[in-house]
Amino acid sequence: MSSASRIARRASMLAALAVVVGVAAASHDASAEAVTITFANWAAAEGTTKPAIEKVIADFEAAHPDIRIRSEAISFSEIARQLALRVRAGNPPDVAQLAGNDTFLIAATGKLEPLAGYIDADLEAQLKPDAMSGLAYQGKLIALPWTLAPAGLWYDKAVLQKAGLDPEKPPKTIEELTSAMAAVRKSQPDVIPLGLDTTNRPFSLQSNWPWMATFGAMPLGDAKARADSPQMKAYLAWMRDLAKNRYIDPGRKIGEFRPLAAQDKVAFIWDQVLLQGVVQNASRMSDADFYKRWGVTAQPAGPSGRSYSFEGGHQLVMFADSKQKKAAWAFIQYLATSPTAIRDYTLGPGASLPPLVRMPTPELASKLDTPIFRAFTTSITPTVTTPAYGPAFAAASSAIMAGVQQAVTGSEPIDQIAASIQQQLDRR
Amino acid sequence: MVLPSVGVLAIVVGYPVLYTLLLSTQDYNLLGVTPTRFVGAGNYHKLLDDPTFWTSLANTALYTFGSVAVAAVLGLVLALVTEDVGGRRGRVARALLLTPWAVPFVVVAFLFRYMYLQNGGAINAVLLASGLIRAPISWLNEASLALPAVMVTNIWAMTPFFFLLLAAALAGIPNEVLESARVDRARGLSLVMHVKLPFLRNALLVSSLLMIIANFNDFAKIWAMTQGGPGYSTTTLVVYVYRQAFENFSIGYASAIGVVWLVLLLAFAVAYLRALRVH
Repeated sequence: MSSASRIARRASMLAALAVVVGVAAASHDASAEAVTITFANWAAAEGTTKPAIEKVIADFEAAHPDIRIRSEAISFSEIARQLALRVRAGNPPDVAQLAGNDTFLIAATGKLEPLAGYIDADLEAQLKPDAMSGLAYQGKLIALPWTLAPAGLWYDKAVLQKAGLDPEKPPKTIEELTSAMAAVRKSQPDVIPLGLDTTNRPFSLQSNWPWMATFGAMPLGDAKARADSPQMKAYLAWMRDLAKNRYIDPGRKIGEFRPLAAQDKVAFIWDQVLLQGVVQNASRMSDADFYKRWGVTAQPAGPSGRSYSFEGGHQLVMFADSKQKKAAWAFIQYLATSPTAIRDYTLGPGASLPPLVRMPTPELASKLDTPIFRAFTTSITPTVTTPAYGPAFAAASSAIMAGVQQAVTGSEPIDQIAASIQQQLDRR
Repeated sequence: MVLPSVGVLAIVVGYPVLYTLLLSTQDYNLLGVTPTRFVGAGNYHKLLDDPTFWTSLANTALYTFGSVAVAAVLGLVLALVTEDVGGRRGRVARALLLTPWAVPFVVVAFLFRYMYLQNGGAINAVLLASGLIRAPISWLNEASLALPAVMVTNIWAMTPFFFLLLAAALAGIPNEVLESARVDRARGLSLVMHVKLPFLRNALLVSSLLMIIANFNDFAKIWAMTQGGPGYSTTTLVVYVYRQAFENFSIGYASAIGVVWLVLLLAFAVAYLRALRVH
């Protein structure tokens, strides 16, 4: 080997070493400056949404090199319990994903950071006022809406057509719904006429709340609320009729109806926006075919003459003990409003509606221009009613849903069941 | 020499028990909505007036004793039937009979849950196809059927345990005893009743005690299959404690139920051990 080539080789080795040392030093500097925030969420715990949330987190970290996100995957049904315990132990995450009553349960600990002070005029103008209105606890805004997901009455047009019904005219009243279910049961005995969650858990009470409301029933809330009211008894009697006529399949969680819906085995299903993604994933149906096959409408009105829905969307909360509030807020804001997060997560596989008045890009606006999203935005979202969320709602949910189950599966007189629910609520 | 073990036991058993006793005298909410306060026997008084607690207690007794009794009898019958089956056939039969014990309880619960489904469940499909029923039965969603249905699942999962222990105990009966019984013309049922069963008594008592404690604490199967419903028809003490502690966050009240539960189990275990010592 000549001395020239030896020198050249040594020089290139030195250069490579310098690059390695430089990169290491740079990355050391970056990691020394970067702050890490913990994000407790169930998006990373579910197969459908895991890749999307991981991508959104990676995009956020790329756009904010000084912030690292440590995602903590906790299942949907466990997250409130785990957060309550962690708050009690003085070890909460910085940011968490919550939904429904769980948001208010954790707010009741007094350990959520009030967010009003973080929202500037620009962001306030971007957010739908309706999406914000139900997120105050004891007068303080305790969460930022991440996704909106009201429930609507989905209907399988092919099933309705086979039952001799007009697939373009879904039922508008409880009576019309009942006769449509009868027609489905008669023509297609292997099809469940109505997919309705009747399990005993706080989510089920949330899901059944609009059905109680359309009968004029309010088992929990203000001083007038009673579980033994004539309206509540009418609701329980209707539920019993549904079960007796085999219009519902009691005991299934809502998620267990979705694969059946994808196989045309459910005529109507009381579900959120995400049903479309589940059905399309399971059946490999194109968007166009899905819109031909499925429609969604507001809840058929009961004796109260009004339709109702519940908001099943997700919220983001920041914990008051967070040492990195600025970074945590940057992350929260990114998840809720950035075009990439909306494209990849909000409108991604577990599709739901963004909480924004206007979409930030024409591409996103066109994604929302579908018959399903339009139905949710125009006719279902305005019917959303918020139950009396909080610790009392969680405590009451098992008594109320146990009563609903007794009405659905037992033969005890409805009056007795309603009285028993009320007694249990009074004891609390 | 025993001091380290006593120390470890004091930490892992003594401290939680004492702390639970302390919590049971407090109105303690995990969310901290109301400040924690001492209520003395208040939670225990509340228990007396709580019909759901009494329903849970009755369900626990039925679930535990019913499942253990049936599984013990089935295990005994299977052990006796396969006792003389030798060779490859015997090994295969024993391996098959032990299979349910190898399946994790949560998997067993989900398997049966899907088999019991009103629409699309295997059990209804078989019964409908064989003409035994005209319409599918809602096994887990009929208040009167849910607990027996869950018990059947439990019995299926637990029988191999009894089979295993009793088969081992049967193999341990001295040959001379059996030979002399045969010389005395003891055969069939009389041989089982007067010779084999007395030898199996201790094995039966110990295995039943273990299974009673395990079933008293059984949460996974019931929660996975019915979550204590419909209504409260399958709510056992452990399910009720879970709901009180982790849905209502009423840790004080849940602790009071836990203390009653512990006392009942201890009383039962002491009585059982005395019976074992007597024999």
